[in-house]
Amino acid sequence: MSAIKRIFGILWALMGVGIIPLVIKQAMKEIAAKPSEENWIFWSIVIVVLMPIIAFSLITFGIFALKGEYDVIE
Amino acid sequence: MAQNVTNVSQTEEVSSTRRVIAASSVGTLIEWYDFYIFGTLAKIISEQFFPKDNPTAALLATLATFAAGFVVRPFGALFFGRLGDLIGRKYTFLVTLVIMGGSTFAIGLVPGYKTIGFVAPAIVFLLRLLQGLALGGEYGGAATYVAEHSPVGKRGFWTSWIQTTATVGLFLALGIILIIRQTIGVEAFTDWGWRIPFILSAFLVGISIYIRMKMSESPLFAKMKKEGKTSANPLAESFKQKGNLKMVLIALLGATAGQGVVWYTGQFYALSFLQNACNVEFVQSNLIISVALVIGTPFFILFGSLSDKIGRKYIMMAGMLIAVLAYRPIYTIMYSDANLKNKVEVVEKKEVKVKADVKGADSLITTVTIKSFTDGTTFKETVKKKFPIDPVAKAALAKDKMKPETKKEVTLPQDIFYKMIGLVLIQVIFVTMVYGPIAAFLVELFPTRIRYTSMSLPYHIGNGVFGGLVPLISTRLVEATRPAADLPPADPLAGLWYPILIASVSFVIGSLYISNKTNNMDVE
Repeated sequence: MSAIKRIFGILWALMGVGIIPLVIKQAMKEIAAKPSEENWIFWSIVIVVLMPIIAFSLITFGIFALKGEYDVIE
Repeated sequence: MAQNVTNVSQTEEVSSTRRVIAASSVGTLIEWYDFYIFGTLAKIISEQFFPKDNPTAALLATLATFAAGFVVRPFGALFFGRLGDLIGRKYTFLVTLVIMGGSTFAIGLVPGYKTIGFVAPAIVFLLRLLQGLALGGEYGGAATYVAEHSPVGKRGFWTSWIQTTATVGLFLALGIILIIRQTIGVEAFTDWGWRIPFILSAFLVGISIYIRMKMSESPLFAKMKKEGKTSANPLAESFKQKGNLKMVLIALLGATAGQGVVWYTGQFYALSFLQNACNVEFVQSNLIISVALVIGTPFFILFGSLSDKIGRKYIMMAGMLIAVLAYRPIYTIMYSDANLKNKVEVVEKKEVKVKADVKGADSLITTVTIKSFTDGTTFKETVKKKFPIDPVAKAALAKDKMKPETKKEVTLPQDIFYKMIGLVLIQVIFVTMVYGPIAAFLVELFPTRIRYTSMSLPYHIGNGVFGGLVPLISTRLVEATRPAADLPPADPLAGLWYPILIASVSFVIGSLYISNKTNNMDVE
């Protein structure tokens, strides 16, 4: 079980890293296609609030999992 | 004699238990009520304070709706969580109650944009931020306070009363708004009646403050303070120490993020879907949600109590998994049952009424079409179109302002109405599975000295950010499937992908990394 937890740790960290360019690229594409106020607000919320939380928590969690910090949880 | 002493002691304990639960739950319930009336009345508030023709005011409206929901709540969690770990639970959640009640009451008194101009939306925006800040501090305090009074093995049951408050708060908000609206009429409600639910808050908060003032401090915190063992810097201890940070992360990713999206989907998204995708009429759609909430609420207690016996993890994870698997089938049925394309119209019952009004330089043509269907469904479409009488003004008017204003209302027959209640109820039960045990789960993850701070942050990020964004992201996903601005979306269920994705990730993380052994542990 510990091995699975550690292997999945790599996945979480990669997901955390991968989400940053993915979100920014999508935001740029959509804003360029339709630079409306609504689009700006939506993507600002996603980039400033949601993305950092997801990226930071997944990367840190993934690294902890990979290092075996969650091997034994009581 | 010894038996009598034991009986008296047990009776006192039960009475004290009830007081603790009542004092904490009533206050938290009122805080949720205060928070939700703003959201439920967002449209009217927007008309009163945030006129669409003023771009700054419109921006403030968006920020007021979202900022308080997800940016400010975690800050409130940090600020009041720290305070609660430094000076105590009782006084901190008393302060949050006063701030929430005061700002809600004040919103009800702020003059509209027409009276004091731009100052009005600015004041409302600030008051809304205060509401979010107070809510961020309230929940962690109440859950911690109750849990620290709870005996081992009963913590899930005791804290589940706190868990009912968010749903009952929503129900109370919907109920009070509906009653006032039906009593004074739609016009009066839109004009001034919307202020009553806000002003009423002062009375409710007054009662709650009176009850809470009589309560004593949490026994665990009082003991720790007496022994001089309280944390000197709860924030640093919570988030800089690896041992605690890793628990904060597991709480967020493995539990509260999934819980947040399931919670918002089962209650808010369901209501929004009924009103916007299915066009179910305002009172009927609110009744569907309200009845489902009333029937579903006892399940919070059931699952909270069950988590004391079989563990928090199994119940929360089961709730997330079933929700992920069931959302699309449930919403497919809801959409199909309200879809007029699946119904046969009784053509001879069709009514069309046209009314023309002249207001100033404009003439307003209102066309009301009522259709009846063989299964008992009725459909009412109201189209309002403005025509400037002056041909020069007509030519100058932008094309989009010439667009008619259309309102569609579907009234469902009784059998489909009950079926809709059932379908929403299933979603509320998912909510109770993920949310019922979560307070006990969070409390047990952290030590007393930093509990208020540590548990509040993941809760408010999970519930406020991941959950609070459900309406925004889901609406966006549906809109992305719309082939053209004036055509209906190709996939009205596309909005479900966001909660499904988040709940799926949370389920995998929770299942892999969360222990189920916490159900009977002692909290220190």
